[in-house]
Amino acid sequence: MPGRCYRGRLKGGKVLEISINGKLYAAAAGEKILEVARRNKILIPTLCHSEALPGSASCRLCVVELHKEGEVQFVAACSHPVSEGMVVQTESQALSANRRRLLQLYQLMAPDSSRIKNLLAVYQGEPLTRLTADTDNKCILCGLCVRACDQLGTSAISTVFRGTHKKIDTAFAQPPVACIGCGACYNVCPVDAIAMEDQLGQRRIWQKSFELVRCASCGEYYTTREAQAFLQHKLGDQGVDLELCDCCKARRTAEKYRDGLHLLEIYNIPQG
Amino acid sequence: MLKKTVYVCCGTGCLASGSHAIYQALQAQVKTLGLAVEVVPQIKKTGCHGLCQKGPLVHIAPQDVTYIHVKLEDVEEIVEQTLLQDQVVERLLYVDRQQGKRVVSKHDWTFAQKQLKIALRNCGEISQDCIEDYIARDGYAALRQAVTAMTPAQIREEITCSGLRGRGGGGFATGNKWSLTAQAPGDIKYVICNGDEGDPGAFMDRSILEGDPHTVLEGMAICAFAIRAKRGFLYIRDEYSLAVENMKKAIADAESHGMLGQQILGSDFDFSVEVVRGGGAFVCGEETSLLHSIEGQTGEPSPKPPFPSDHGLWGQPTVINNVETWANIPVIIQRGAAWFSAIGSDGSKGTKVFSLVGKIANTGLVEVPMGITLREVIFEIGGGVPRRRKFKAVQTGGPSGGCLPEAKLDLQVDFDSLLAEGSMMGSGGMIVVDDRTCMVEFARYYLTFLSEESCGKCAPCREGIKAMLAILVDICQGRGREGDIQLLEELGKMVQANSLCGLGKTAPNPVLSNIHYFREEFEAHIHEKRCPAGVCKELTVLQIDPQLCTGCGACVKVCPVDAIAGEQRQPHVLDQGKCIKCNNCRDRCPVDAIVVG
Amino acid sequence: MNKDLQIQQEAEYIARHYAPERRFLLAILQDIQRHYKYLPEAAMEKVAEYLSVPVVKVYAMATFYKAFSLTPKGKYIIKVCDGTACHIAGSMDLLAEIKAILGLEPGETTADGLFSLETVACIGACGLAPVAVINEQYYGNLTPLTLRKILAGYQGGVAKNA
Repeated sequence: MPGRCYRGRLKGGKVLEISINGKLYAAAAGEKILEVARRNKILIPTLCHSEALPGSASCRLCVVELHKEGEVQFVAACSHPVSEGMVVQTESQALSANRRRLLQLYQLMAPDSSRIKNLLAVYQGEPLTRLTADTDNKCILCGLCVRACDQLGTSAISTVFRGTHKKIDTAFAQPPVACIGCGACYNVCPVDAIAMEDQLGQRRIWQKSFELVRCASCGEYYTTREAQAFLQHKLGDQGVDLELCDCCKARRTAEKYRDGLHLLEIYNIPQG
Repeated sequence: MLKKTVYVCCGTGCLASGSHAIYQALQAQVKTLGLAVEVVPQIKKTGCHGLCQKGPLVHIAPQDVTYIHVKLEDVEEIVEQTLLQDQVVERLLYVDRQQGKRVVSKHDWTFAQKQLKIALRNCGEISQDCIEDYIARDGYAALRQAVTAMTPAQIREEITCSGLRGRGGGGFATGNKWSLTAQAPGDIKYVICNGDEGDPGAFMDRSILEGDPHTVLEGMAICAFAIRAKRGFLYIRDEYSLAVENMKKAIADAESHGMLGQQILGSDFDFSVEVVRGGGAFVCGEETSLLHSIEGQTGEPSPKPPFPSDHGLWGQPTVINNVETWANIPVIIQRGAAWFSAIGSDGSKGTKVFSLVGKIANTGLVEVPMGITLREVIFEIGGGVPRRRKFKAVQTGGPSGGCLPEAKLDLQVDFDSLLAEGSMMGSGGMIVVDDRTCMVEFARYYLTFLSEESCGKCAPCREGIKAMLAILVDICQGRGREGDIQLLEELGKMVQANSLCGLGKTAPNPVLSNIHYFREEFEAHIHEKRCPAGVCKELTVLQIDPQLCTGCGACVKVCPVDAIAGEQRQPHVLDQGKCIKCNNCRDRCPVDAIVVG
Repeated sequence: MNKDLQIQQEAEYIARHYAPERRFLLAILQDIQRHYKYLPEAAMEKVAEYLSVPVVKVYAMATFYKAFSLTPKGKYIIKVCDGTACHIAGSMDLLAEIKAILGLEPGETTADGLFSLETVACIGACGLAPVAVINEQYYGNLTPLTLRKILAGYQGGVAKNA
């Protein structure tokens, strides 16, 4: 993001220097190559990376070159930690050729995905017509949906089976008992592969139906009853403004700050 | 009269040929005759024509007589002649083609001459389930020495100086690994044995786990002392039932003898080991997948760094070594690093166990000093390619390795020499193929295996193997196109560079090495729609050459679909419509009259 | 419903041989597989409960490892070795033969529940290649013809004690 200030995770703090594409950049011990690159607006393509759910290292699109003692090593930028004097190349003929081939394979998996199509164009690639595309499929198995669901604590979906049979599914491919209809999986998916339908106060996802509830402020449907209850239970005292939709919640928070209510909270002065 | 001991091979292969019944019959007869003979069941060591090609094997000491292809009916004669009268039963002796005669003892077989047993030192010499046998052959002497007379740092130093490198395929310096783990912060450390031997055609680890379980336990205990670990895990693949059983028994025996558990050998060192049975996944041989499997998760790997020496089982520093690596540890401690490092080649110290299988006269398990040439292993120890066939290639490194052709037979077998030529030594699988093997189909075979074993987590491996396999299947079935070889090479490079773990990274190797050394075969399939080896059915037409056919009718007998017809002593005819290209007729024809058209 | 309840009780009994720790998930599932010859849904749900593991993760384990089956296996499990030595000795022809006689692809079970087919990558009897194992009984040096005869024996109930 442009203009973001230095906020590296200083685990143990030591600041060091690495070289990316011939230029030197500051980095903190514990950071990954991708974080340093992003902070400095250097493009490394990714699919399975999310700020909230980092380190899957499964899409392999972020692979870059490490140059050491005359040898070239290929490592995933999102998971490989920085070290003093590291020499990284994010662009090269080999990297472009590999990215093209990899994106071609992704395109065969999810032929309708705009994201893949556009990434392929960035690396001057064309669809690989030699092989058959999976026209019914949209998922690229990045696993973000599963990690989001696990992070939330519901764990209603998982990657199941293995190899080319691997897919994202619910237990026994049945409507999942654990699903609360929060839509986190739907929101985090980079290729719009998860079907979620909100209609007439009902949400349908993973073959399960939910009743939507209305925002206490604006009256719009915004989440399911189960998701609301889940968050209330999970956050307990920490749960604030859970009866509001995201927009209204943001507005309420802004109002609090505008009115200095946060100061009263910090200094333990009762609201009068 | 000197006490006699009869060693009956009871490894999985020989058991499959009925050796257990032979063991029981021998025991029964010896008992009724009241002979002072101990009948000991165990894995054959050298001579272990591995499995069954010459099995069941029975060896008798101290006469030093080895019988092969023993049947139940032979037991009486063996007892009569050899046990009671010290006579040799000639017809049960191995016919050594290289020496041109029957050879009495396995120690004198040509097969045995260039071998040196370190990891396999006890296999075939001790009972599978008897700790006393192990102790009688210096068992646990190294552990005693380590625990009573050495410091952890000294032990690590000794292993480092020996030059021992991991025997599971990775070849990482073992001493280094132990030191990194010992130095990693944290009080809880683990020692793990990787017994997930998954390469098809490899059974080195299985033989050690079944036939000499204590050597693995002793090695692990020495390491635990050297890195201050208290717990160890033995991960054994699901399919190795006998190994799991023998290991569990060995652990119980070691504990009751004070070699494992609390206060080992009277010291204040505690170390206990648990067996964990795999769930049937080749990928669990990858160390991070193996860790996840022990933790009760699916066997999907994690990116490295961090390495297990820093962040391993349940996040703690962990040493993971292969079965064969562990088997070397007690010997190195006992005989010293100097002795060990005098064996082998420059960067590859010590010996390596190979499972030598395929189109070779002496299939089996061999252990040789590294630096020996492929030619020596295949043609001297292995006895060459049988039945008038021609050597074509040797595959090493399993699904991660590659094929090397005749021109490379003088290469040294070690960690670095094969790598430089596009293959790798790997965990020790060595498969010899002859002119009847199609190198395109062989590449397809490995990719099929890998596509089923890929965990599927990362796209380069999962989708890359799928794509390469689809192209290879097309080529094998006559649908190969111009540009396919280049596409295979480019996809291969991407998969090698971008995969998350070793399985994916090395998956393209069999394909790329076969293209490199046997490109003309690929081209014949693609451009001429022809399989030179006569294997790919859609691209093979078998014909009987009327000039050569003597009309003996041998082929008719072995044809499973009655596709051959003809009068006696007249040239026979093969019906293309019926032919299923099984090649039985080609194999049988005494005059090579059946040709690939 | 009753059947499920029974399975749940049996599964719990099996699971309780181990402490309720995640690391025993693989071993518990293997014991259940051995008992039922497959993993019933009700059993998996019970195990999930016992170990406090999300049920979908148990399902993920069940579908990841080859040791497990979600559907009951046949009475006779035919394992054709497709290790490298067996492969170059003709294991593909054996598989073709089984396909022709029993209509089975690897992983499938016949409709009458008599036979299941699996391929395994190396039984370790390479000198007898090509090899097949039917319910722990080894058959080596096979040809499509000899295999056909052996299977006929099982179908006719002749191999009752095999």
